[in-house]
Amino acid sequence: MADYKGSVKADWCPGCGNFAQLSAIPMALSQLGIAPENSVIVSGIGCSSNMPEYMRAYGFHGIHGRSLPAAQAIKWANKELTVIAYGGDGDGYNEGTQHLYHGARRNSDITYIVSDNQIFGLTTGQASPTSRLGMKTKTTPDGNLEPPINPLSMALSAGATFVAREFSGDVKHLVETIKKAIQHKGFSFIDVFSPCVTYNKDNTYDFFRERVYKLEDQKHDTSDIMAAFAKAAEWGDKIPIGILYQREDKILSDVDPVLHENLISTPVKKLVPADIEEFL
Amino acid sequence: MDSNEVIIRVGGAAGDGVQSAGLIIAKVFSRNGLHTNTYNYYQSIIRGGQSWYQIRASSHVVKNQGDGLDILIALNKDALERHTNPDINEGGASPLNGIAIYDSSISGFTKHEGMKFCEMPLSEIAQKYSKNTLLKNTVAIGAVFGYLSMDFEILAGVIRDQFGGKGKIAEQNVEAAREGYGHFVEKYGKSSKTLTGSGKKYYLISGGESAGLGAIRNGLKAYFGYPMTPASSIIHYLASHSKDFKVFVKITEDEISAITMAIGANYAGIRAMTGSSGGGFALMTEAVGMAAEMEIPIVIYEAQRAGPSTGLPTKTEQGDLLQVIGASQGDFPKAIFSPRNVEETYYMTGEALNLAEKYQMPVFLMVDLYLAEHYETVEKFNLEPDMKKAPLATGDEKDYKRYQFTKDGISLRAIPGTKNLMHNEDSDEHDEKGDVVSDAVTDPQIRIRIMEKRMKKLDTYMKEITPTPTYKMDDAEYAVVLWGSTQGAVEEAVDLLRKKGIKIGAIEVNKPFPVNPDIAKLTKGKKKVIFVENNYTGQLRRIISSEIQVTGDLITKYDGECFYPGALANEIEARIKE
Repeated sequence: MADYKGSVKADWCPGCGNFAQLSAIPMALSQLGIAPENSVIVSGIGCSSNMPEYMRAYGFHGIHGRSLPAAQAIKWANKELTVIAYGGDGDGYNEGTQHLYHGARRNSDITYIVSDNQIFGLTTGQASPTSRLGMKTKTTPDGNLEPPINPLSMALSAGATFVAREFSGDVKHLVETIKKAIQHKGFSFIDVFSPCVTYNKDNTYDFFRERVYKLEDQKHDTSDIMAAFAKAAEWGDKIPIGILYQREDKILSDVDPVLHENLISTPVKKLVPADIEEFL
Repeated sequence: MDSNEVIIRVGGAAGDGVQSAGLIIAKVFSRNGLHTNTYNYYQSIIRGGQSWYQIRASSHVVKNQGDGLDILIALNKDALERHTNPDINEGGASPLNGIAIYDSSISGFTKHEGMKFCEMPLSEIAQKYSKNTLLKNTVAIGAVFGYLSMDFEILAGVIRDQFGGKGKIAEQNVEAAREGYGHFVEKYGKSSKTLTGSGKKYYLISGGESAGLGAIRNGLKAYFGYPMTPASSIIHYLASHSKDFKVFVKITEDEISAITMAIGANYAGIRAMTGSSGGGFALMTEAVGMAAEMEIPIVIYEAQRAGPSTGLPTKTEQGDLLQVIGASQGDFPKAIFSPRNVEETYYMTGEALNLAEKYQMPVFLMVDLYLAEHYETVEKFNLEPDMKKAPLATGDEKDYKRYQFTKDGISLRAIPGTKNLMHNEDSDEHDEKGDVVSDAVTDPQIRIRIMEKRMKKLDTYMKEITPTPTYKMDDAEYAVVLWGSTQGAVEEAVDLLRKKGIKIGAIEVNKPFPVNPDIAKLTKGKKKVIFVENNYTGQLRRIISSEIQVTGDLITKYDGECFYPGALANEIEARIKE
């Protein structure tokens, strides 16, 4: 097992859902035999986005909402790397929405994991894009007036080729899905319910434990996009976790000849007079 | 009027083929070994409106589109009236005092004095060869070169290249041009001008293309952008050569993505660039600071157009200097280049890539619409790579620290994939190792040292900054200070004033930030210092006066047009005499 344990101790609140992911991501990478030097964790800003600080891998802890553009470009520059973009629901579904949409549309060959706690944590508890309607927060004292977005149906409609949902309360299941996501060729997306024990008193561990069920226990066809949309819309007494949808499709390096080789290793173009003849 | 020089203007509506006609004319000159300079006056419209394309050519070096107008091709009545009317002075362009070539169908306009109206059956001739109405432009182009007694075969070659070889369309155009050539000479005779080229073909290239080419020469592997005039000429060039040059070109969902992707690619170890105009660059602002804090190289091509906001999308201005200097929160090292012409753009783009990589900081290449889109001849390009690859950690380093404190402020980068050197690069403040110092315990001592480490890179850079270029400053009593693309107009204005006995020269700032202190020495003791800027407030003057306390008079232009040497010389002279 490769050692992904970082030297800096995570300073999330005790019980934070992010800890489960801090265990699960290294475990998945390690079980797949991916060396820490070939792994890049790219994040934005928010509690969960501090993840790269705590792992022994290459970390890119950038700015709010912008993990996906950096992650995609790192992969285009060096396709031998395993690239995971990581962040929260505020980071990914507010400022980063268009990057999720277009990253999925491009089928960029990276994995995107969102730690979805349905609240802004680092800024001390404001309504996020996945906060439920009516939720009382510092910015919504009379209850949230805007309905939450559905990240799964958004990813599906954008053309994502791997869409899953997980729960920080089930690390074993989370590890298996992260492994499949990393192995998936193309854009793999996992929305992980990750309870915020400090600011979200609605969507707690118990809330999810009572509701989640595993898709593989049902006859769910992951190749059926309409079935996936139906599962994405399921919310209430029962909430599915696991892989909703998976499809094999072309990635950019299949169709853009410049990416057939690995950009980082291609020799630098040596200009010759024929290259500038067009200007004569 | 200079008998070794000609200025031609093609005027019409958008969609009339004004630009392609202009480019054919320019290329005939550059292939004859004549120095050529062009200017494209157009609007943000696909069909209609009015636009014109000016071409100046000479056996001597021409540094801008020039004053005066010798030959007009008017593609419609509006163009004929505009460019022959001495009272219309668009952007400083002179009215015709030579010949106007136009189709016989145009009538009912005022024939001003001092010019020759050469009506021609352009459409009638064109229709003999094809139903395509644009063929009449080719007939008119033929007429121009007949008038100038230039070798028809060079024109025929350019036309064939333009229309894809020896096919039917190419030959229709060649024959239409040949008839235009003969018809004009027979009816109106030849010009007394003799333009003798060097016999050696010159490169005819735009600033945007030159930047792209210069970047390739120094190892560019990826370019990320979003369409915005006038930053598109570089993307179009790179995209159309993506496969030949093995450069990855990606049009992104927005400018934020474009710069973040370029930073990500640089982080991963390849040279990558992004670019936009002021509006798009405004969106990139936050990521500029990210690159600086994380110490990741990034080159940003910023092609200015007239603002604020959407402003004049197809017009030139130098209004973004303060925006670029001030882009992103906090203090951090950055450098701004402002190449003065197309040739310099080629070398400075390469230099920007080297510098960004060495100092692991943002480097800006500021051009403007005028420089990015107009064409100039370049006699020769040095194609030998000048790529100064900064060293990278290999994995054998003991106690590797990504942001190690060093004398020059520069620390060794380790890129992903390097064994043993895993570390985190963070937009939060961090220590030498990259560990964040902003969250649990903020350590003010580390903050001070890491700030000083980053800023020290600028001190190191200032030791190697190239001297500010000058023009005729040796005996100058008066000095003009310019930056970027106004070089051509200023130098020709200086020449005009020197002919009048005024001892004047120019200080040509091509690296506006950080301010080079040599400007203080260059301006010292001058009777008058005059800043010439294509903006309203004199942004360069503001920055130079605040940094090194050098100031002076200010001549501005903010009508969306570039400077013209004659008008500029008059304005400078008036200031001198004040």
